[in-house]
Amino acid sequence: MRRIVLAAAAALALSGCGLVPHPRRDVRLEQIADKSDVAAILDHYREVRNAAIGLLDPKPLSIVESGPMLAIDSGSFEVSQRLSRSESEDNRNLQVSSIETPVFSRYPLWFMVTAFDPAARVDVVQIFERHTPTEPWLLVAAPQTLPSTQLPGLRHDRHGRVFRVAANDGRGMIKSPQGAATAYADALGSMTDALPGIARDDFIKKRRSEFDDANRLEGVTVTQTWAAERVKQALRTEDGGALVWVTLLRLDTYQVQPGIKVSWAPGSPQQAFLAHGITGVGKLRYYHQVLLYVPGGDDPPRALGQFGGVVSADADAALAPVPAPTASAEPFPGASPLPGGLPTFPSASPTASASPSNS
Amino acid sequence: MQKKAIGTALMAVGLVVAVLGLAIMAVLGPDGRFKTGPHAIDTDGIAVVTAPKVISWENVSVEILAEVPANKPVFVGVANSVDVQAYLKGVQRLEVTKFTIPWSVRTRTIEGRKALPAAPTALDWWRAHAAGLGGAVIKTQLPDETVSAVVLAVGSSNLRGLQVTFAYGLRGGFFKGIGLLLGGLGMAWAGRLARRGETIWEEDDEVDDESPSQPDWAGDESPTELIPAWPKHAGGRDDGDHDEHETVYVYVDDQGIEHEITAEEAAAYEVVGEHVEHVEHVEPTPGPPSSGPTRDDDVTYFWIDEHGVEHEVGAHELHEFELFDDDDQDNS
Repeated sequence: MRRIVLAAAAALALSGCGLVPHPRRDVRLEQIADKSDVAAILDHYREVRNAAIGLLDPKPLSIVESGPMLAIDSGSFEVSQRLSRSESEDNRNLQVSSIETPVFSRYPLWFMVTAFDPAARVDVVQIFERHTPTEPWLLVAAPQTLPSTQLPGLRHDRHGRVFRVAANDGRGMIKSPQGAATAYADALGSMTDALPGIARDDFIKKRRSEFDDANRLEGVTVTQTWAAERVKQALRTEDGGALVWVTLLRLDTYQVQPGIKVSWAPGSPQQAFLAHGITGVGKLRYYHQVLLYVPGGDDPPRALGQFGGVVSADADAALAPVPAPTASAEPFPGASPLPGGLPTFPSASPTASASPSNS
Repeated sequence: MQKKAIGTALMAVGLVVAVLGLAIMAVLGPDGRFKTGPHAIDTDGIAVVTAPKVISWENVSVEILAEVPANKPVFVGVANSVDVQAYLKGVQRLEVTKFTIPWSVRTRTIEGRKALPAAPTALDWWRAHAAGLGGAVIKTQLPDETVSAVVLAVGSSNLRGLQVTFAYGLRGGFFKGIGLLLGGLGMAWAGRLARRGETIWEEDDEVDDESPSQPDWAGDESPTELIPAWPKHAGGRDDGDHDEHETVYVYVDDQGIEHEITAEEAAAYEVVGEHVEHVEHVEPTPGPPSSGPTRDDDVTYFWIDEHGVEHEVGAHELHEFELFDDDDQDNS
């Protein structure tokens, strides 16, 4: 008798298998970046960037980049134009090593791409964002890390999708992503050695060193302010912490005594914007994109990578703000005591000299 | 008894499944889809969209045909609800808030600007889309994500006079219906067999531990067949108006020999047959010796004179004669 029942059940299962459509059990309003589209997105980005390079015009970049990323890259084009040199074609051939796609219930959507740049020998941790459904995917952040730097593992759900962390969600961490970004900016702007709740990492040490060097110039007073923008991207790490993409706005103000001029080395981004140097008062604005790791538990946040440059400058109010410059050559040298450290770039320290006009 | 119940249940389920398969075949037809429409949708706006979660099924093939008069340009698409909701945010639209098959819709109008933020044909996130003059049709398989269906007016036109034809189905649904029908019939057949105590396959020799123990039989004989009960007439006929029954249980061994057993012993065996036997029971009647006729009505007595002529005599005259039986004479 049991066999009859089994046979009948098997016959029914076979005949009815896949027949009856069933409602989805998890009807959720969600969207993810399609991994299969990422290769096409990267190809499109490279194609547009090369077109901009060919035209020596940063405008086409606006269809593949946005925000501080666009400002920094536009700055590099501006520098090239001012210095009358050509940008090299983007033939980096980034080797994509991972793609992480969070889940969203509303726009904007974004995803993370980690790729190795064999030309610069750095890893690039990119964020592509789609702000509205009618806009294309745009590159909004691309901090760089040394290949030796190990990114913390990200937590995934059963579908392999990563978890986002709200900017103000500090559960399990010493600070929320936004809190960590703000504290990090405060630490950078602090004139003291005290860094409450923040690790004294390579990036902080380098910025502090540059600041001290500038202030050693005779007859020059430099003040530096840092501010963190609103955190938009943060992912949960396996240890309960967060990997946070932070954009920092830095403002350097030079107050130069009469008869003295501050100038930069020829070919540097600062020199491209301030070709005549600073006599009187001058300001330089920078964007820094920092990949901040907020560990789970009580460990302090620390930077794993960065990318940035000058985006505008003015001197004595005679020079109009320029949307941009410097770029991929923002100097952050120095050895790091932290594992991995940060990528280093050529330095462009200012020098002070007697101003011909005042002499 | 248990087999009967299970068999009945199997038959019932099988018949229901068979009817279901038949219904699917009838509804979907050989092309495996059900079509309804065209249905007029009363709107003069530029967008008709299903709200999120209205389409909550997956693995269903759908076909949407949107037709508008006067060769107006029209767009039909299916996309993730997140994309659609963001795309139509702030746009005047008719939103379908409830939809039940074959065609029952509940809608609401959402006010907004009468222009789309971008041409729908320029977007890359449609799961399926089509555009045309006077009509457009899409065929797609609903994915495992929350999707919305939209009908949009392209350019400066509107959707006045919109008619929608909707078809849904299953890939190979007709043949799956056949499968259900056959499977159901198979179940019903199995149930019928079970009711009759028959099996599709020979049962194993395994013995259910919970079954009563069999009686011990002498020698190496073992019962191969048990014939449980056949009533016999145990009493005499009483004008034929009632019978007395006696139940006798026997088993038949390998040699075909019947052995009578008790009812308790018989309970351990399966009943394989019942035989009812009517046994005539003859009452003994007073009269002549058992060798002679038993009833006076059936015997005629004669005496034969010296001329060989037979003369009938009554039974009361027999004492005057010497009896001879014709049958005995014939047999001798």
